[in-house]
Amino acid sequence: MDLKTIIFYVFAALLIFAALRVITARNPVHAALYLVLAFFNAGGLWLTLQAEFLAITLVMVYVGAVMVLFLFVIMMLDIDIKRLRQGFWRNMPLAATLGVLMVAEMALVLSTDYFGPVAFPGTKMGADYSNTRELGRLLFTDYVYPFELASIILLVAIIAAVVLTLRRRKDVKHLDPVQQVAVKHSDRLRVLQMPAEKEGE
Amino acid sequence: MLENYFPVLVFVVVGMAFGCMPILLGWLVSPHRPDSEKLSPFECGFEPFEDARTKFDVRYYLIAILFILFDLEIAFLFPWATIFKEITATPEVKLFGFAEMLVFIGVLVIGYVYAWVKGALDWE
Amino acid sequence: MEASVLHFFEWLWGPYWSTLWAWFKPVWPLIWVIMKIVAILVPLLLGVAYMTYAERKILGFMHVRIGPNRVGPLGLLQPIADGLKLFFKEVILPTKADPALYFMAPALAMAPAVAVWAVVPFFDGVVLANLDAGVLFLLAVSSLGVYGVIIAGWASNSKYPFLGSIRSAAQMVSYEVAMGLALVCVLMVSNSLNLTDIVHAQGRGIFADWGVGALSWNWLPLWPVFLVYLISGVAETNRAPFDVVEGESEIVAGHMVEYSGMAFAMFFLAEYANMILVAAMVTVFFLGGWLSPVGFLPDGLPWMLAKMSLMLFLFLWLRATFPRYRYDQIMRLGWKVFVPVCLIWIPVVGVWMMSPFNIWE
Repeated sequence: MDLKTIIFYVFAALLIFAALRVITARNPVHAALYLVLAFFNAGGLWLTLQAEFLAITLVMVYVGAVMVLFLFVIMMLDIDIKRLRQGFWRNMPLAATLGVLMVAEMALVLSTDYFGPVAFPGTKMGADYSNTRELGRLLFTDYVYPFELASIILLVAIIAAVVLTLRRRKDVKHLDPVQQVAVKHSDRLRVLQMPAEKEGE
Repeated sequence: MLENYFPVLVFVVVGMAFGCMPILLGWLVSPHRPDSEKLSPFECGFEPFEDARTKFDVRYYLIAILFILFDLEIAFLFPWATIFKEITATPEVKLFGFAEMLVFIGVLVIGYVYAWVKGALDWE
Repeated sequence: MEASVLHFFEWLWGPYWSTLWAWFKPVWPLIWVIMKIVAILVPLLLGVAYMTYAERKILGFMHVRIGPNRVGPLGLLQPIADGLKLFFKEVILPTKADPALYFMAPALAMAPAVAVWAVVPFFDGVVLANLDAGVLFLLAVSSLGVYGVIIAGWASNSKYPFLGSIRSAAQMVSYEVAMGLALVCVLMVSNSLNLTDIVHAQGRGIFADWGVGALSWNWLPLWPVFLVYLISGVAETNRAPFDVVEGESEIVAGHMVEYSGMAFAMFFLAEYANMILVAAMVTVFFLGGWLSPVGFLPDGLPWMLAKMSLMLFLFLWLRATFPRYRYDQIMRLGWKVFVPVCLIWIPVVGVWMMSPFNIWE
């Protein structure tokens, strides 16, 4: 067993542990942080597959951005865990059936020859091989159309986010920085000429 | 490629240890004289009225969502920027490679302008 | 390097060396990496310690004061005294706090600030991990710093830390967008994600051929982007004038309110380590790293350190000069000024590179 295999097993074990804790942790914030750990280890696993760009992007986008939003939402929602757990046993049979089905489907797909180790021989890359470069070349030649579609999806997401969450508050007193900067001393200060008062009166 | 990441892995482990050790040592070495006033949450001389974890302005979520979207955009821009010199060096794809990124950025600028006009980027 | 270190050990242990070597040979790569990590961490920690001293001293001079001058000659032992004091101070765990997360937060703030240094090149080839995707790694790991802040604020279960952490998290993510977009321009002209290559790319050009390399570094052709990156770096590290997170007149000390002793010290150290990191990054991306500004002087590590010191001085200077920004102004600057500047400059650089006036051939 070489170092790479050991590292794989460490990452895989941590990933499974973290994923289990995501669904068993009682405190939602703890669950979210275990999900962060899971993403980390998933990134590590991708790295062992030489998918450098994807692995680091996974950490950057999911850990650095998506989970920050998750934490924001969870922290604010004040989730009542007792109420959440009420329907647990009632929904259990349906959830278990779905879970078993998904596991069976994945097992069926993954056990075929298409996904076996034979189908993915480890490719040896040269010293100057750059994962990002190769991805860039593919993305901007063969996959231009999906790439541009991605921008449309991002656009839809921006508009949806703004429409769904933006609520202007009516009671806010708003300051316009432009007006603040443009203010002149004559707008604020008036110098009055007054006759000097005599001493002693 | 992977052997390049071995030092990084070690460094991350060392970094975590480096983050935890001083706190642990400090906890062990320092005195412990607990006091109900000392251990109470910091407020301006009051007992806290309510739980500190309250709701906060929805604007913060909007910022977080916009950050995710722009982060994704950056993730797409990085491979393009890395090979841009090669794109300009090949005459037949030169304009095409530039134009497709202009379209990509253009579409996102529409979203950005929308958010701006709607006031999503204002902080009242 | 590795060979000479081994040679030194051989000389040190004399006749026992061959037995020792038989034991250590399998784990030697690990030991070698750890030795290199120590060689990075120890100067970094000294830098962090004396950065606090430099800050107090320089701010003192800017305020026409003397600054620390009691502990040791010229007050030079002040950081060590401060460190020892913090070490023996009680670490308080507030009653309402979440204990595990409360102690994890400072470690989570410190770990990324340290781990990023794995990819920072100090000189040609002097880098712990010469990653091909160094810039990505840098962006990914430095974006983790926000967790220390969020978790600290939430785990303390106290109002000021909670408000401070949310403020600071929103500020940090906003400026990360600007930083990422600024880096896209740098990548376009340097044609690589590797930090060493980015430095080398700055050493080429018309001005470098004329012997004034300083003018061919990225800061001049990418001037607006340079400013965006520099100011975003200040905002990302929550330094003055963007330090609303610990605006003491509003929310006491933000997410650090409940922390004391060594746990507080970790946040403090992480902030300074991040400052030094931002200085190193600005140097690598825009100021030519270890390259010499003029042709007749050799390149070398002193240049890198000199440029970093200049940037760090700038950090302190900013703190002494500018009043604190208001929160809405900070968010406006990030989203409404820096993002458009970068979004415009990316096509501008693109057109420039395709035009006959391309200076990055």
